[in-house]
Amino acid sequence: MFTSKRIRLRIIFVLGVVAGILYGWVVDPVEYTDVTPGILREDYRADYVLMVAEAYHGDYDTNAAARRLAVLGSASPADTLSATLEYARGNKFSQQEISMLQELFSAMQAYQPGEGISP
Amino acid sequence: MKIDLHNPLLQITLIFLAGIGFGLFYSWKISPVTYVDADPSLLQSDFKDLYRQVIAASYAATKDLPRARARIGLLADVDPVGELSAQAQRMLAAGEPFDRVRRMAQLATDLTQGVTANPFTSTPFSQPVGTVLESTPLVEETLTQEPPPSFEGTLFVEGTPLSPIIQETPTPRSFSTPIPTTVLPFMLVGQETVCDLTLEEGLLQLILMDARRRQAAGVHIVITWPEGENDLFTGLKPELGNGYADFIMQADEVYSVRVVDGGSFVPNISAPLCSDPGGNQYLGGLLLTFQQP
Repeated sequence: MFTSKRIRLRIIFVLGVVAGILYGWVVDPVEYTDVTPGILREDYRADYVLMVAEAYHGDYDTNAAARRLAVLGSASPADTLSATLEYARGNKFSQQEISMLQELFSAMQAYQPGEGISP
Repeated sequence: MKIDLHNPLLQITLIFLAGIGFGLFYSWKISPVTYVDADPSLLQSDFKDLYRQVIAASYAATKDLPRARARIGLLADVDPVGELSAQAQRMLAAGEPFDRVRRMAQLATDLTQGVTANPFTSTPFSQPVGTVLESTPLVEETLTQEPPPSFEGTLFVEGTPLSPIIQETPTPRSFSTPIPTTVLPFMLVGQETVCDLTLEEGLLQLILMDARRRQAAGVHIVITWPEGENDLFTGLKPELGNGYADFIMQADEVYSVRVVDGGSFVPNISAPLCSDPGGNQYLGGLLLTFQQP
């Protein structure tokens, strides 16, 4: 009798824990409002990288492009471009967009930090 | 009232509440939800600034206004154009390169107008005008403008089917290259004394218009006086006009105004004296209007 009561109380405790976790993870999870670009959703990341590539196509400023890509995380700019190219090919980016990404990819492969503005 | 801790219902309730408390502690503190798919509206303010700069730089290269609008919309700013203008002013104050500031101002202007304006490129300024023109009334902008479109959070404007896969090797550039354009000089077409007690004393107002009498944003103007100089850009106060810029003149100081883009030079500018209804003198303002022929 005493044992069954303890088991019952434990089950109730576990149910409470489950309810609390469900509330904390699903109903009212912690909200972040000041996030870094590193955790942008994949399509937003890809669009950001595309913007950098478009800007690069306008000014050919490799330093600026590298700085803008650096905020996406610890991966090298070339790796970031490579991943974005893969995403672009699988998500119906236009040929021109892919070409611009490739252009920046090539520039980032040859990029050495601190170099001047490329022609 | 005495609480009976041996009451089974009370025990069950307390145990359940304790469980909930532990669960909340775990889910909020020990292992909170980790966001990995954030959208740009959640970015820190400094990263939002960077995001806007990249949008403006991209727009300067592509002139794709619908896409720039969609991208700005992703930041979910209450007043996207106001944010762009405010950021441009912050950048100007921080001494950032003029080209970056101009891109921001240009994007703000084009978003307001709903059309892509032709950019003004820097050219050496021309011969000094040196003559004071007669006062002419300010030509008001009469162009009809599209209503400001809404900023929707759509991302890609259109997609085209994936064509044959191309290798990741450097390929020759196949895009159009910028075509050098001849920029017509901005000429001083109007110089008016402004005696208005509601305006700040010594206010020098500048309005620049293109050949079609549309106000021209992003034009670089330099104000110089014996002790220094100040850089201005039109369009940083879009609420006053896309081709508007202003500067506060001091009493007994003589200034020169130079329009860097498609240049014009106006020397010997100083704040006039005005009289209020009571006969008291105060420092008035000037309105200079420039236009491309």
